[in-house]
Amino acid sequence: MIPFDFEYYRPASVDEAAALYRRLDEQGKSPLYYSGGTEIITFGRTGRLRTGAVIDLKGIRECGELAVRDARLVLGSAITLSRLHDSRAFPLLGETAAGVGDRTSRNKITLGGNICSRLIYREAVLPLLLADSVVRIAGPLGARQAPIVQAFDRTLQLGRGEFLVRVETEARYASMPYAVVKRRQVAAIDYPVVTVAAMRVGAGIRAAFSGVCAFPFRSPAVEEALNERGPSPQERIARAIERLPGPIHEDSRSSAEYRRHVLALALADIMRRLGGMTDAG
Amino acid sequence: MEAIGRSVPKKESYDKVTGAARYTGDETEAGLLHVRLVTSPYAHAKLIGVEVAEARRAKGVRAVLTGDVCAVLTGEEIRDRPILAREKVRYFGEAVAAVVADSEAEAAHAATLVQARYEPLPVVLSPAEGLRADAPLIHERLGQYEKAVGVESVPGTNVASIIRIRKGDMDRGWAESSAVVENTVSFGPSDHAAMETRSAWAEIRPDGYVVIETSSQAPFAVKKYMALYFGIEPGRMIVRTPLVGGGFGGKAAIQQELIAYLASRAVGGRKVKLVYTREEDMTTAPNHIGLEATVRLGSAGDGRIRAAEIIYRFDGGAYNDKSSDVARAAAIDCTGPYAIDNLSCDCLTVYTNHPYPSAFRGYGHAEMTFAVERAMDALAAKLGMDPLELRDRNAIVPGDLSPTRNLLNTSNLGDLKECIRRLRRRIGWDDWRVRQTGEHTVRAKGVSCCWKNSSADPNATSGAILSFNPDGSVNLETGVVEIGTGTKTVLAQIAAERLRMDPDRVHVKLRVDTQITPEHWKTVASRGVFLAGRATIHAADDAIRQLIGIAACVLRTDPQDLELGRGYVYVRADPAVRIGIQDICYGYMYPNGNTVGGQIIGRGNYTQRRMTVLDPDTGAGNPGPEWNVAAQAVEIELDARDGSYRLIRAVTVLDAGKVLNPKGAEGQVMGAMSMGLSFASRETFAFGERGNVLNPSLRGYHLIRFGENPEYEVEFLENPCLDAPYGARALGEHGLIGMPAALAAALSAAAGAPLNELPLHPERVWRAMRKGAV
Repeated sequence: MIPFDFEYYRPASVDEAAALYRRLDEQGKSPLYYSGGTEIITFGRTGRLRTGAVIDLKGIRECGELAVRDARLVLGSAITLSRLHDSRAFPLLGETAAGVGDRTSRNKITLGGNICSRLIYREAVLPLLLADSVVRIAGPLGARQAPIVQAFDRTLQLGRGEFLVRVETEARYASMPYAVVKRRQVAAIDYPVVTVAAMRVGAGIRAAFSGVCAFPFRSPAVEEALNERGPSPQERIARAIERLPGPIHEDSRSSAEYRRHVLALALADIMRRLGGMTDAG
Repeated sequence: MEAIGRSVPKKESYDKVTGAARYTGDETEAGLLHVRLVTSPYAHAKLIGVEVAEARRAKGVRAVLTGDVCAVLTGEEIRDRPILAREKVRYFGEAVAAVVADSEAEAAHAATLVQARYEPLPVVLSPAEGLRADAPLIHERLGQYEKAVGVESVPGTNVASIIRIRKGDMDRGWAESSAVVENTVSFGPSDHAAMETRSAWAEIRPDGYVVIETSSQAPFAVKKYMALYFGIEPGRMIVRTPLVGGGFGGKAAIQQELIAYLASRAVGGRKVKLVYTREEDMTTAPNHIGLEATVRLGSAGDGRIRAAEIIYRFDGGAYNDKSSDVARAAAIDCTGPYAIDNLSCDCLTVYTNHPYPSAFRGYGHAEMTFAVERAMDALAAKLGMDPLELRDRNAIVPGDLSPTRNLLNTSNLGDLKECIRRLRRRIGWDDWRVRQTGEHTVRAKGVSCCWKNSSADPNATSGAILSFNPDGSVNLETGVVEIGTGTKTVLAQIAAERLRMDPDRVHVKLRVDTQITPEHWKTVASRGVFLAGRATIHAADDAIRQLIGIAACVLRTDPQDLELGRGYVYVRADPAVRIGIQDICYGYMYPNGNTVGGQIIGRGNYTQRRMTVLDPDTGAGNPGPEWNVAAQAVEIELDARDGSYRLIRAVTVLDAGKVLNPKGAEGQVMGAMSMGLSFASRETFAFGERGNVLNPSLRGYHLIRFGENPEYEVEFLENPCLDAPYGARALGEHGLIGMPAALAAALSAAAGAPLNELPLHPERVWRAMRKGAV
């Protein structure tokens, strides 16, 4: 049970949503955009979240889009993770998303909700970082587009009142060789100890990570180490781990030491599957 | 048409699978008030003050209660616990205040406005820490608390209770031992995680009757203790329990009822309802006990154990509740199912700042067994002996003495040697025990034996009432709470067998109402069928006697010539001379209207024979009616790279005495095995440095799920217990007891390193392998 009253709005357009936000914000209602609502329910009932109004994005056509246009895959932010998976539109994204929660939760959790999650994992963003996707963001000051590698730095960088409308990805990325490895503490359904999503693009491997640090990331330095010509795969993996963009995360699920070990195994697995295990790189 | 031995479906299943079944929290009614709790974020702190004015002013709020409203201390073994915290808090999640409001939302909102001020105190987070000479004292007034018979505390320390078992001559035992091992195990507290969270209703009626409805395994204990705590006349204390959505021992504790009662009292006796959130159910309510144990075994070269010195240090948490009794249950069976003549066991329950434990399925036995069985494996390794062979050689048999010095016979002891023999064959133990299955994968098997007596109070009682319907079918009422075990269906089978009728014709009352239902001590300890089954047989015999009395009159025969069966009372030598039960169960009316006899009400009760309390110095005594046994195995496949593993197969061979309901029995044993593997492989509370629970919800506290389970196999042998209904032995808990030890044995074999801590998370296995490799 959510122990506070809040208003519910379901705008039909991006502009209406943004206008609503501005108005509700001015009224001091600390409005929240949402589509699946799983975090509002679970955090709201324990007092970790409070809001006076929610703005449901599911009624906005652009947010529900799943289409290929002009060789670009268009994914609305309100598409559920279950639908992303079942559509096979972007298998790496679908499979990465399928590692989040359980099926019942994924029937509610959406692409935008997962990317903008308050938890540190946000695994659905990993394939988008690899595929150089472009995000369309809207807000009271209008709409803008940006490459996700710029717009996403630990979290999606949103201005006040902005929300994610959709993500566009060059369709060719959807058919590139990929691998995703998720390792959990013990249970089949849980947050990651380590999640690695990877893709072979030309001669190189791209990799993005969740669970490893206190934020999801794709790092040029890490990829450079992984793709370096010369050193053995084990050496490349060791060097990649040295170049992580932050300290290895440590919590009740896993020590940093074990995460490091599992990460190395996951990377070896990825390189084996994507053909990076030869010394030639 | 035999009723016993048939897989009669549970009588409550139809309502459950259609969603029609109602549990305590499901109902609502007009005018009902709702209670929500404020709980402590500290594991140990002085309670400086609780500011409730703002909460009191919030919309819909009727009352806000703090510890000031009631000074009563509660507890079944040691009365050490205030209903709402007073002066200090002793665990994370302890109830500090309760808000009563018109709606649950208003109560929950107001609860956030209660301002409790704390001054943190140093915390005790393990039994070992609690036993240190300089440990912070958790109960300063331990010496002044009221205690139950046999509870020996050490005031001025954190030792809530100490129990000693002594047998034989230790010096001689060690002298005869050529091999000695010492092994230490440990694990922290975990949860029951029943599907239904604890809940209760309370009302104090204008006529003085107090009515509680509660999701309890022990409504009669709620009645008894609430009458005691609050000075209520027992006859005015009414406790009702509908179906309970899983208990596993955790709902034998009394907690939410007490808060609900105080809440009702604060609003003039109006009816209030308190439904725990999952977080409260996990941390505020009692949980599953932790343990640190050291087992030292000495054996001769042939593997026969000559001496055992055992120290159990149970993690008693912040309040005693039943933990010292759990420890007592572990102490009476402290050796596991092995004949050990020279024995010394000290069993301590130590206060810590963990959420407090109560009963958990197995009642101390899965815990104690883990310690003993890991030591048995260490001894087998030291002797270079097959671990199953070592167990077989030491298996306790008729003629041996229990740790409590009871002479064991084929009735009061199950046949462990036969369980071991069948287990060995079933799991292919002699074919292979460890084998490489891939570049990084290893399969291995581990075994464990177990036993358990029950720990009912010596005078624990159970009653049954049988009444009849005009069609000759019967109604059976007992005080057993239907917690999902299907006990009431088995009791119907027992009644049907005795009355020689179809179990479909036996209607069971699922709801318990202490005002009219005959008392059943508590629905715990795998004793539902044993106690209530015997009471049911008495009730059936009483009804048969009455029916035959009327029939003898009507049929003009000697009562001794009559038998009952298939709906009739008939003459044994001439079955054509008969009368239908429906014609006599309300008395018999002659054609002219004359009536003899009246409605038949069969009554029965049962109390266990010759139970005793334990001798405080040696533990000698008669603790329970029957030691049942099982031999168990687990097979796993380990990924040696990261310590992750798959559960492949889990086997239990158990002496059922007599299988009364095959599918029901199998389900009970499999469910228990699943629970044991879940506990052993993943379940634990994670604590912060200050004793705060880091995973107080199912988001971070993991239970085994479908798909993660192994193949479960259950095999029964039937070596009857002569005291039990139709010979049936206890089996509701045994499936759990050996699973943690068997899993640890299998993983230790695969990892090549001993694993003595739970849960067996992959990281723990990986660390053990790395340590072993150095």
